Amino acid sequence: MSQAEAILMGLRVWGGIGAVVAAAFLTIGIDRIDADARGAYVFRPLLIPAVLVIWPLVLWRWYLYETGRVHWHGRYDPPRRSHYLVGWLLPIGICALIVTGLLQRQSWPADVAPVQLSIPTEAVE
Amino acid sequence: MSDPRKHGFFVGYLPIPPALRGFLLVICVLLISGLAGFGLALGTAQDDPGQGAFRFDYGRQTVTGVVELTPYPLLRVTIGNERIPEGHTLMLAGGGKTNVENRAIPLEGQLAQVSGVMLQRGDLDMLQLRGGADGISAAEGVAPPMGTVPLGRWQLAGEICDGKCLSGAMRPGRGLAHKACANLCLLGGVPPVFVSTQPVDGSEFLLITGPEGDHLPETAYDYVAQYVSLEGEVERRGDLLVLRMDPNTLRVLD
Amino acid sequence: MSVKYVPVQWNPNKYLYDAVMLTGVGLFLYVFLYAAPGLLSHERPINQQIHNARAFGACAFVMLTVILCIGPLARLDTRFLPLLYNRRHFGVMTVFVALTHAGYVVDWYFAFSRWNKFEAVLFANTSYGQLAGFPFEAFGIFALFTLILLAVTSHDFWLKFLGPPLWKALHYMIYPAYLSLVAHVSLGILLDQQNHVFTAIFAGCAGTVGGLHLLAALKERRIDRTRSGGKGGWVHVCDVSEMRDGFAKVKLLASGERVAVYLNDGALSAISNACAHQNGPLGEGRIIDCLVTCPWHGFQYDVTNGRSPAPFTEKVPTYNLRLDGTSVLVHARPNAPGTYVEPVPLPGTAPETEAMA
Repeated sequence: MSQAEAILMGLRVWGGIGAVVAAAFLTIGIDRIDADARGAYVFRPLLIPAVLVIWPLVLWRWYLYETGRVHWHGRYDPPRRSHYLVGWLLPIGICALIVTGLLQRQSWPADVAPVQLSIPTEAVE
Repeated sequence: MSDPRKHGFFVGYLPIPPALRGFLLVICVLLISGLAGFGLALGTAQDDPGQGAFRFDYGRQTVTGVVELTPYPLLRVTIGNERIPEGHTLMLAGGGKTNVENRAIPLEGQLAQVSGVMLQRGDLDMLQLRGGADGISAAEGVAPPMGTVPLGRWQLAGEICDGKCLSGAMRPGRGLAHKACANLCLLGGVPPVFVSTQPVDGSEFLLITGPEGDHLPETAYDYVAQYVSLEGEVERRGDLLVLRMDPNTLRVLD
Repeated sequence: MSVKYVPVQWNPNKYLYDAVMLTGVGLFLYVFLYAAPGLLSHERPINQQIHNARAFGACAFVMLTVILCIGPLARLDTRFLPLLYNRRHFGVMTVFVALTHAGYVVDWYFAFSRWNKFEAVLFANTSYGQLAGFPFEAFGIFALFTLILLAVTSHDFWLKFLGPPLWKALHYMIYPAYLSLVAHVSLGILLDQQNHVFTAIFAGCAGTVGGLHLLAALKERRIDRTRSGGKGGWVHVCDVSEMRDGFAKVKLLASGERVAVYLNDGALSAISNACAHQNGPLGEGRIIDCLVTCPWHGFQYDVTNGRSPAPFTEKVPTYNLRLDGTSVLVHARPNAPGTYVEPVPLPGTAPETEAMA
C-alpha cells in the first residue's frame, strides 16, 4: 500500500469510527449530558460532521460530563493572552511567507543560449 | 440611566441603533462593491495561458508511419495528410494522463496507422490516440529505414514540461502552479518536453528522455516546471529533436 | 443560549447580514466568472475548470481576509462589533467556496490519470525539500481541513459542550490556517504570476490582516497595562469617581482572569468579564434593562448574581467587592457561577440606604 493510499485509508477509518460515535452520541449521549438538547432533534443532523471530525474529543468530553469532572472554573478563562502573541506572529509570518515566495520567483532566462559541448560521437544511419 | 442604545450599542437581536445605521450602511456598500471590485481585478489579472489547444476543429487525424520508441512512442510519418505532412515526427499520447506504450511496443520499427486528435502549440504538436486498435494498428507494407542524426552533447537552459499539457491539453499547461499536474502526466508516461530558451538546430521544443534512452529519471521530477540548465545528448529524428538528459548536470537557474 | 437548540437562531439582523455577505460573494464570483473573461485579451481562453478553480480560490482567500479583519477592527473601534455578530455564517460560507475550489482542482489537475484522484493529490508532487516547486497543495489541504473543522464545530452546542476556552483554542487554528493559505498562494500561483495586480492585491490583503492584528494587540496590551496589578486578596480597581452608571471597569487579576465591575443604579457589582457563551468581554458591554449585555452576541446577566434571566440558564462567576474610602476593591477569588453578592452602594447613596434600613 502506498503512503497516499494509507493516508486516505486512515481518513476513511477515522470517519468510520466517527460515524459510530455520532450514532451513539446523538441518540443517547447528548440527552444525558445537555438538558437543552432534550426534545430538540432538528439540529442534531447538523452535529454529525463535527462528530466525524472530532470524535476523540467528543468521547473525552462525554466521559468528563458523565463522571462530573467538568469544572466551572475552566469555562471562564478565555485564551486572551495569546492575542498578543498572534498579533506579532501573524504579521511576521505573513511577511516571511510572501517575501519567501517573491524571492523564489524566476525569470525566464531568455538570454541563455544553447551551447554545443561536443560534436557527435556516433552516427546511427 | 441613559438608554445605552442611543450610544450606538449594538445588540444582535434588537433593531440596529440609529447612531450606527449610517456607519453600517457605508460598511455594507463598501463590502459589496469591494468584493465585486476584487472579483474584477483578480479575474482580469490572469496571465495569458498561451495558444496551445486540442485541435478538435481539425477533426480526427489519421496518418501512417513508422513507430519508434525513445522509450516514448513516436510516429515517423510516411503517409501524411493536410495537417500532418510526410516526414513529420509525431509524439503519441493516450487519453488523459496516459501513454500508449503497451500498444506501441509490439509495433516498434513497423508501419502503423494512428488515429486521434491533435494538440498544437506553435511548432509543438502531439497526437492523442483513440482507444485500442482504433488508435494504433499495424499497417500493410514494409517500413522504410528511418535515420537518426546525432547532434552531440549540448548544454541547454529552459523548463521541463509534460508535453501534453504544454501543447494544449491545459491552458495554462506549464509553470510551478501546474507542477503537480505535470508530474502526474509524466508519471503516467506522457512524453516530457524540454522548452529551450533559444532554438537548438531550429527547434525550441525537445522531447526529453533519461540518459540511456529510458524514461525521465526520478531526480528530474524535482526540477519539473523550474527554469533549469542541463546537459545531454541531442539527436534528430525527422523534424523532432530528442534530448537524452544527464541528470547529474541538472541545475536550477537563479 | 439556553432553551432548546435549533439549527440556526434566525433574527432580522442575521438575515440582513447574510444577505449582504451573499450578495458580495455572489457578485465576486459572477464578475470573476462571467465578466472577466470578456475583458481578457487572450488569444485562447483559460480552461473553464481552471478559471472556475481560480475564481473560487480567490474568493475564499478574500472572504477569509475580510473575516479575519473583523476581529481586530472591532477591538480597535467598537462600531465594527455588528460585523462580529454573525461572523460564523461568513466562515461557513467560506468553507463551501473553498471546497468548490478544491473540487475543481482535484477534478481537473488530478483527474484523468490511472490513479485515484485523491491519492494523486498526495503523491504527484513530493518535492518537499525545496521551496520553488514545493507541493503547495499541502498548505491548501491543511487550510481547508482546518476551515472544515471550524465550520462543523461552529454550532452553539459545540461551544457549550467543549466549553468556551477549549472551543476558542480550537478556533484559534484559524490563524495557522490563514498562514497556511498565504503559503499556499506564495509558493503556488505567486511564483508563476506575471501580472502584478494580483501580487499587489494578495500582499495588500494579507498585510492588512497582519497589520490590523498587530495594531489591535498593541492597543489591548496598552489597555491591559492600566488594568493589571494587585496580587492576592483585595485588589484595587479604580476610584468611585471613575465609575459611570450602566458601564463597567475591567480589572485584570494576577491569575489572568478579568473582572467586570459594574455600576448599576448607584451600587457596585462585579462579575467575570468572560461571557458564558463565547467568553465575550462583558465589561465592554452595557447594562440594558438592569441586565449586563454582552457586546458580542447580546447574552444577558443579572449583575448581582451572574445569572441569565429565565428561561435562559447561563451563569458566570461573581466577585466580592468593598469600598476603601473612595477606592473600589475586588476580591481576587471568584464565587461559584450564579452566586448572589449584595451590591455595594456608592458613598453618596449609602446614607440614604442606611437610613431606610
